Amino acid sequence: MSQPPVNPPSTRTWRDIPQNVTPKAMTREGKKRLVIAVGNIVGLALVIGAAGWGIFELVSIWETNPTRITAAASNVPIRDIALRTDGVLDKGWVTRTLGISKRASLMELNLSMLQERLLATGQVQSAVVARKFPDILAVTIQERSPVARVMVRSGAAVPEAYMVSRDGSVYQGVGYDQALAETLPFLDGVKLVREGAGFARLEGLEQVSDLLGTARTNTPDIYRTFRVVSLARFPVDGTIAVKSTEVDEIIFGVVSDGFFKQLARLDYILNETRRQTPPQPLKAINLAVGGSQVPVAFDMPAVTSDGRAAHAAAKPATPFGTALFSPPPRNSSSSKRDF
Amino acid sequence: MISRTKFIGAVEIGTSKVSVLIGELSQDRSLHIIGVGECQSRGVIKGAVADFRAASDATHTALMAAEQSAGTRIDEVYLAQTGGHLEGFYNEAAVNVSSADNMVSALDIDTVCRLAKSKNLPDGRMVVHHLRRPYRLDGRIVPDPLHLVGQRLEAGYWTVHGPEGKIADNIHVIRGFNVRVAELILSSLASGTVLASPEDRQNGALVIDIGAGTTDFVLYRDGSAQMTGVVPVGGGHLTNDLALGLRLTEGQAEKLKLRFGRATLATKDRAEKVWLNGDFAIGDRQFSRYGIEQVTSARVWEIFEVVKKKLGPAFSPEKTASGVILTGGTAKLPGIDEAAAKVFGVQARLGEAPAWVAENLRDPAFSSVLGLLQYGLSSRAEAGAAPRRKSSNWIGKLFATA
Repeated sequence: MSQPPVNPPSTRTWRDIPQNVTPKAMTREGKKRLVIAVGNIVGLALVIGAAGWGIFELVSIWETNPTRITAAASNVPIRDIALRTDGVLDKGWVTRTLGISKRASLMELNLSMLQERLLATGQVQSAVVARKFPDILAVTIQERSPVARVMVRSGAAVPEAYMVSRDGSVYQGVGYDQALAETLPFLDGVKLVREGAGFARLEGLEQVSDLLGTARTNTPDIYRTFRVVSLARFPVDGTIAVKSTEVDEIIFGVVSDGFFKQLARLDYILNETRRQTPPQPLKAINLAVGGSQVPVAFDMPAVTSDGRAAHAAAKPATPFGTALFSPPPRNSSSSKRDF
Repeated sequence: MISRTKFIGAVEIGTSKVSVLIGELSQDRSLHIIGVGECQSRGVIKGAVADFRAASDATHTALMAAEQSAGTRIDEVYLAQTGGHLEGFYNEAAVNVSSADNMVSALDIDTVCRLAKSKNLPDGRMVVHHLRRPYRLDGRIVPDPLHLVGQRLEAGYWTVHGPEGKIADNIHVIRGFNVRVAELILSSLASGTVLASPEDRQNGALVIDIGAGTTDFVLYRDGSAQMTGVVPVGGGHLTNDLALGLRLTEGQAEKLKLRFGRATLATKDRAEKVWLNGDFAIGDRQFSRYGIEQVTSARVWEIFEVVKKKLGPAFSPEKTASGVILTGGTAKLPGIDEAAAKVFGVQARLGEAPAWVAENLRDPAFSSVLGLLQYGLSSRAEAGAAPRRKSSNWIGKLFATA
């Protein structure tokens, strides 16, 4: 039972009445609402259009001439420099070193050049310079720590103390506390070679740094007596000679026992010699020999230790003011230093 | 999930007043009435706009008051439609079930519905509502014939139509406020939706909304609206009758109607007098209370008689078990339920708004505008569910042409 096709006549409903009204037929409130509605639509259209146009312009400028974008942003002058450092350099030094004019804006700056200016100072190990919009220049610095000082004479000028860091960099220290800087021993036996505005890196400073660091940490009293650290023989036999206020020459070996053991032996020897009456001035202590014996040289003929000194197993080695110190046997006495 | 709330207005441009409600429809489809606006109507005669500017001013004043009360702006409204210019007719169609196994398909339903709605209207008139009566499948009433087995499917529509010009006038009054008309709803349907319960509609009920200029009615049976109508007589005519009969101004007559008017004669003492103002000032006069009741009851009686006549054979007391439900401003007239019961021969009562309606909106004068919101939302919900059937219809067509 199939149905014939149905094509009923269409009837008009109230929905066919157009709902658009001319403003003339509106009341004042209706016109006001119409204006607001139209204003909203126009405003929205303008905002969308402006946003679209802005994006289009930016994209086209970026594609054709990106410098125009930077030029547009180069009107705001730098308000401040935000410095982060792990050392002693301050904002004043950074400002002077960078030499940025007060009217300069962020986008005008050549960050690579500024970074180079900072790195030109040996004290600065690494530097990061970044723009922090709208008007802050962020500078992050990692500084070198000095382990020793070295006297540098430039031409006929008065010699000046420079700092030497663990990596062998020689630089003019800025901002260090004077009292703290004076505790650093001087470096000797090195040849300073000019390299650009500074000096070439020195060899052997890592070992010097380890020695001084170990001394400062474990035997601060001995460290305070260190005056000069010489690397004169370091290239030849790998030894570091230290001149202290008590001993003319203390030789540390790099290839022998570690610095900790050598410093312990030195501490023992110094204690033992101080106990002797009268105290015997020490001329040289060679800790680089290694093993159980330490050659010690005195300023006057050596006196073989006896009594408690004999207990220390000091034996006369040579008749001209030299002796061999041996470390005490382990657990021999509670009063003895154990190496 | 983003919470979305919609604000919808309901506007009734009546002969005596313009009422506006603003409802807040939340996502869970719960409705809260958040704004009310009222204004004395001007430029409206018997539900039709006679003075565009005056009607616009009054309507827009009410809309602004409602928006201020709600604290929000609305973009669209449901508009009540009434007036003597509205007419209706019934048209039905029948089709044979197309499938070989006699199972009713969506295509069959669509076909019979389109046929039933296809009657041409006179020139210049347009449809306001197509109210479908229950389907009949082989003579038995079925709410939804889809997938039922039968041979002959019948559908009938009560079509309400009106002149394009007058309908457009109402819409343009609203558009003059730069607000869109989302739904045009018969006042009687709106009132019936909010006052007649589903049981009332199933058992049969006649809802009569007596306004100032018109009386709208809707007859429910078998759960749906069978017939609607508008009588261009209302409470304003009672006032007019009193003014003419007692030689009073319209204001004085209105005052007397509200104080002493009745829909039935209750005064036994024909000599009993009542004062016009009661302040014994110059101009204060006495009138016969019996006379006042006679005038008002006669007009109310006449209104009911006209409604009954318009309903014709569609109304029968046996099939209107839930009786007559009265509403509208004039329904506050004492004894009106008694008069309706006598005229229609069934029980009659004053309509009561649902429990969710706030106390200040429970007045019978608000039932129509309340119903606008409820009817509009339910019709939209049905419209939203319609595409599901359309898709099955498309599939049906696909198979039909294969």
